[in-house]
Amino acid sequence: MSLLGRATLLLALAAAVYAVVAALTSRTRGRRGWQESAERAVYGFCALMTIAIVTMWAALLTDQWDLRYVTGYSSSTLGARWKLSALWASQPGSLLLWAWLLSVFATVAVLLNRRRHRELMPVAVAVLMGIGAFFAFMLAFVTSPFETLAVVPANGSDLNPLLQNEYMVAHPPMLYLGYVALAVPFSFAVSALVTRRLDATWIAAVRRWTIFAWLFLGIGILLGARWAYEELGWGGYWAWDPVENAAFMPWLLATAFLHSVMVQERRGMLRVWNMVLVVLTFVFAVFGTFLTRSGIVASVHAFGESTLGPFFLAFIVIALVGPLALIVSRLPLLRSRHSLESFASREAVFLFNNLLLIGLTFATLWGTLYPVLTEAVTGDRITVGQGFYNTIALPIGVALLALTGVGPLIPWRKASLAQLKRRFTWPLAAAAAAAPLLLLTDAWDRWVVGAIACIAVFVLVSIAGEFWRGMKVRHALGGVSWPGALGQLVARNRRRYGGYIVHVGVVVLFIGLAGSRAFVTEGSLVLSPGERGTVGERTFVLEDTSRAVDPHKMSTAVRLGVYKDGEREATLAPGRNLYLASQQPSTEVAIDSSPTRDVYAVLVKLDERGQAVLSIFVNPLVMWLWISGLIIVGGGVVAAWPARRTARAPAEAPEGAERRATA
Amino acid sequence: MSVAVVALVAWPLLRREEALPAPAPAADERRQVQEELDRTLAAINEMEFDRRAGNLSEEDHARLDAEERARAVELIRRRDELGEG
Repeated sequence: MSLLGRATLLLALAAAVYAVVAALTSRTRGRRGWQESAERAVYGFCALMTIAIVTMWAALLTDQWDLRYVTGYSSSTLGARWKLSALWASQPGSLLLWAWLLSVFATVAVLLNRRRHRELMPVAVAVLMGIGAFFAFMLAFVTSPFETLAVVPANGSDLNPLLQNEYMVAHPPMLYLGYVALAVPFSFAVSALVTRRLDATWIAAVRRWTIFAWLFLGIGILLGARWAYEELGWGGYWAWDPVENAAFMPWLLATAFLHSVMVQERRGMLRVWNMVLVVLTFVFAVFGTFLTRSGIVASVHAFGESTLGPFFLAFIVIALVGPLALIVSRLPLLRSRHSLESFASREAVFLFNNLLLIGLTFATLWGTLYPVLTEAVTGDRITVGQGFYNTIALPIGVALLALTGVGPLIPWRKASLAQLKRRFTWPLAAAAAAAPLLLLTDAWDRWVVGAIACIAVFVLVSIAGEFWRGMKVRHALGGVSWPGALGQLVARNRRRYGGYIVHVGVVVLFIGLAGSRAFVTEGSLVLSPGERGTVGERTFVLEDTSRAVDPHKMSTAVRLGVYKDGEREATLAPGRNLYLASQQPSTEVAIDSSPTRDVYAVLVKLDERGQAVLSIFVNPLVMWLWISGLIIVGGGVVAAWPARRTARAPAEAPEGAERRATA
Repeated sequence: MSVAVVALVAWPLLRREEALPAPAPAADERRQVQEELDRTLAAINEMEFDRRAGNLSEEDHARLDAEERARAVELIRRRDELGEG
């Protein structure tokens, strides 16, 4: 298997390099065959990478202990699904997944665009395969997943227990789908710059790819948060860990692009800005991979010291400097068609939104790199705590939330005072009415939470108003029922209304974040069987303890009865496992979830006499974080769903357009 | 495996130039113009929708609509010049 794997990686590298050369050669007149040959090399690269990844999975499933990778991240007693997920448990496997996804996306991009965007394809193929060649080179010569051992052991040292979790099966592939898909917009942007075809064509080619990438990055981030919540046992889900930040930064930049591209489409503005954003988003995606794989940062997710750093750094510099130099050289061609006419306009709101997102991205970057830079200069290793990030992210996040509501209320170009008054009255009145009502809850115990709740009401009413106005027009136009009008409204402008659904998800996300961060109740208990202890308003009774052994692990667990106001509320069974092959322990958190709160129990220790040390957290509104994820994904799917063929017969065109042309 | 990949990749280079699917720059350009026209017409429709919904004032709508219609007219003219393709 090692031989097959190594051979396919070498061939894949050759195919990628050839594709670059052939694609660039095809730009010369009279060499049509080279472009088709380059496209076939892309398919060949994909086929070879598929063989390589299937070989790796087969090696993991069949316990090929002669491979260093299999020995390091699997064991004979490991379940099949963990063996499959062991592919992304380490550096070489993750890079193999990266390269394979890239090969699939490059193939899809070629198949979809080879006729539609023929003139962009040679350079786009060259860029995609240049990236492919880099990863194939790393896999073939720097960090091979098919490296063999001189002495073959009888068993592997097992998968890290933290990774033996359902969410870890899905979280990395989702994140990688997002990271890697960003290579396609990058390649088309570079191609547009090189070929000087800087009209709307390249935007049309990349918009849906960016939504796709944004969607999967978002899903990956949320699944990672859920994994941290269930597996790490500290009661939280987000700690501004460098590797969490690595996924968050390209997601922020992609969010900025998805907003600013609308300004380019509608008003012909921000053309340079959009180019820069596409380049930065991809560079940050590679930087995210670099952060996790290079070992320059300390993180629960990082893979430790490695030799990849210099290679990735060189790749990032090329991917950043090359396109930025091209942008500078094409500045005259990227001039905007219009300028900003008023700060009270939708394009200005998008601009503010972009500035805030970029600000948050670079603040996060600074916090992530500051310890590395400090260590490089002074030799001291320091950490940047959550306080730094929260201090910056909170005001920016609240401002972004408010803009989510302001955007739909302000028209393009310029808003008159009368328009502003008419549009803002209801949302502001609803937010003002919500303020005293929130006194009935705990929200004003922390003024920030109260303010967020008021802004959330403002945004929801603003979005509801947008739907209502649209439905009224559809209802009046088509004589359809109100539900029919809603359906038509969304179906006819999926991107816009899908975006509004995403914004509703963002509001729900903020409610979940505010509640779960501001009102946590926590405590520690030391209980013997039959004893009870209190944390906040709840009483916990240790009812039973248990121990079990299977071929893979030793498990201990306790049964806790949870009581509130004398009523039994839940039964929790937190535990601890000791994995036999690796001799590594892990906590098995127990969570009782409801829409208002999670009761979260961690078994810290269970001694021989049955005395248990427990950490208890009561986290309000956490469930709404996961619900917000579903809403955001739903909205994203609506926004990305292909529209019906937009080409229409002249009779369907807006009144006058075709008539005037043919007159 | 390597022979199969080489054969797959090299085949277009071994065929005579005339045997390859001929590029049709006019057809490509026409398709791009048509796509751009579709987007422009969609933008005109959306602006009309925004006007009816009260998201755009009559004055702004008139100005933006005129810009987009002029663009649509130009695109239709270019499309017609390029012929049926």
